[in-house]
Amino acid sequence: MFSSFRSAMTWVHTWFGLVLGFLLVVIFFFGSLSVFDREIDRWAIPETRFEHQPMPSFDARLRPIFESIQPDPNELAQARERVGTLPEKLRLMNWSAYTTHRDPVLTLYAEYAVPNPSDPDDHVHGHVTIDPRSGKLLQNDRLAIGSAFFYPMHISLHVQWHDLGYWLVGVAALVMLVLLLSGVVIHKKLFREFFTFRAHKHTQRSKLDLHNLTGVVALPFHIMFPLTGLVIFAGIYFPVSQTLLKPLAEKHEQIEAQARGLPHQPSGVAAPLSSVDAMVVEAKRRWAKRGMPGEVGFLQVTHVGDKSGYVSIFRAGSDRVTLVGQAVHFEAATGRVIYEEPPPSAVSGISEFLTGLHLQHFQHWLLRWLYVFGGFSGCICIATGLVFFVGKRKRRHAAEGVHGARWVDALAVATVTGTVIATLGILVANRLLPEGLDQRATWERGAFWACWSMSLVHAVIRSAPVLQARISPAWREQCHAIAGLAVIAVLLNWVTTGDHLGRTLARGYYPVAGLDLALLATAAIALAAARHLRAREATPMPEERDGFSVDTLAVDAADG
Amino acid sequence: MADALLALAFLCSFSGMGWFAVAMKPHWVQARGDSANGEPNSGRLRLLGTIALLASLAACLGADHPSMAFLVWVMTLSASALGVAMTLSYAPRALYWLTRVGRSRDTRRCA
Repeated sequence: MFSSFRSAMTWVHTWFGLVLGFLLVVIFFFGSLSVFDREIDRWAIPETRFEHQPMPSFDARLRPIFESIQPDPNELAQARERVGTLPEKLRLMNWSAYTTHRDPVLTLYAEYAVPNPSDPDDHVHGHVTIDPRSGKLLQNDRLAIGSAFFYPMHISLHVQWHDLGYWLVGVAALVMLVLLLSGVVIHKKLFREFFTFRAHKHTQRSKLDLHNLTGVVALPFHIMFPLTGLVIFAGIYFPVSQTLLKPLAEKHEQIEAQARGLPHQPSGVAAPLSSVDAMVVEAKRRWAKRGMPGEVGFLQVTHVGDKSGYVSIFRAGSDRVTLVGQAVHFEAATGRVIYEEPPPSAVSGISEFLTGLHLQHFQHWLLRWLYVFGGFSGCICIATGLVFFVGKRKRRHAAEGVHGARWVDALAVATVTGTVIATLGILVANRLLPEGLDQRATWERGAFWACWSMSLVHAVIRSAPVLQARISPAWREQCHAIAGLAVIAVLLNWVTTGDHLGRTLARGYYPVAGLDLALLATAAIALAAARHLRAREATPMPEERDGFSVDTLAVDAADG
Repeated sequence: MADALLALAFLCSFSGMGWFAVAMKPHWVQARGDSANGEPNSGRLRLLGTIALLASLAACLGADHPSMAFLVWVMTLSASALGVAMTLSYAPRALYWLTRVGRSRDTRRCA
């Protein structure tokens, strides 16, 4: 079928890239935004615009709030569907709280056992979000656009049915690795053209250069992120510990807990909870003794109110790649240290490093921006690949009256500029919708999907020029929409909260100032792109202008 | 101190990538301005590039915990490579200073 290995790889690169490229742009784009998810949350929820707070006193502040948490009504309704009638009061299992150096607010979680004979581990959750400075409960119905919308979009595309979204993202990640390897194989001059970007050459040439450049220079990033993403969700893709090997996994859990002296099951005997603040002091003393003083990142009380209960205190990994670590476990009733986690084994250390590398909760602003650079490089690489695909075929398709290039181009518009429009749409809706609107979060999500749908419809309607081998005006028009929406979002933030750039910059409040500046930069880039596209629309196709043929290009080996 | 070291890491990494780029004849010509301006001493330029990239790693290690430093270094290399490519495309003469130390001895004699 193929004349050589390279031509086979060209076929793989072209067609797998086309089928999953649209999805990959979305995943990379929202992954890049998720690097600053907490900051986007601050922009979207103005009452949380204050400085990060360390974990507050458990005894004085958190415990009374934990005791007041109730199971989530939606989860209770789902549990009733599973098991029928539920007792009035469910047994409390665990309490936990997680914070990072970027969280001004604190979310407290509780788990409650659901009596289910067919699943002894069945449980429901409850959670509240508080202002750690005062302990005041914050509204839980406000949409944290960064961490509760963009981030889930990155990991699951908001497709929850049978975890299909996770699977789609997993397949896309796997295909990304295949695309990278096949791309390296078919790139004839990987080293010779490592620094090559001929911006002023033929359009197809410069597109391919940009595709190669952004793919090659950030290759370590492009390989590590799909790979670590797959590692993080390995439990979903290979759920053997919940299926085939469940008995073995349970036994392993029990033995591990026994080896550490941590009770795996509650005893059923009630016992009070000793001072957790004293345990925090002891944990911090032990971390300092190990030469790594730090703050609490994660705190969990297991088997709450039971004689077997224990408290686990994890160090925040702000200065490390790993998320949290160096746990010290205390007996809940007495405050006695049961077990202090030793340094991780080589395998656990690698696993924690890979997870932390991807989830990046560390305190390193340069590295966070470099991650954004890597993510956007990925977006540009995939987007230029799609545009190159269209550019390569549209003259032939136009001559043959085939609509393939037109459809791919319309989808590319909706994926590239449409994704940005939808993102800006949800930010604008967030600032425009009335504060007291019922189901406000649902309206915000609706604005996102509506903007994206309109972008697709617009791209399809305006795609006719592609049939004449010309550029679709939808690209330029949507760039104008991006510029307009980005400026409107900044202005609306100013009008509705009073936090204009002058104030946030003077205050040094970068979560909001940074997003406003990024929006203005987006508007400037979109305007420049629109102007460039207008000039291109007015000139003849490069192929006609100077006889440039895409057949001379390296990737043009055998794909059709 | 850490910020200064990270700035140094970026500078070294950009210079290192720049030297690797101008070690190639087409980029050498771009940075020098015309093709009649001698040949690059590729060996020396690559050696300088290697030293600069290692210096960049050392600066990263001085600024952060080793696990973090390695990540920062790798990403700094990527960003610098893209920066060098873009500079070569839009303002190649801005990299002229990198070529001052890498001219081949033979072409210097001829000149």
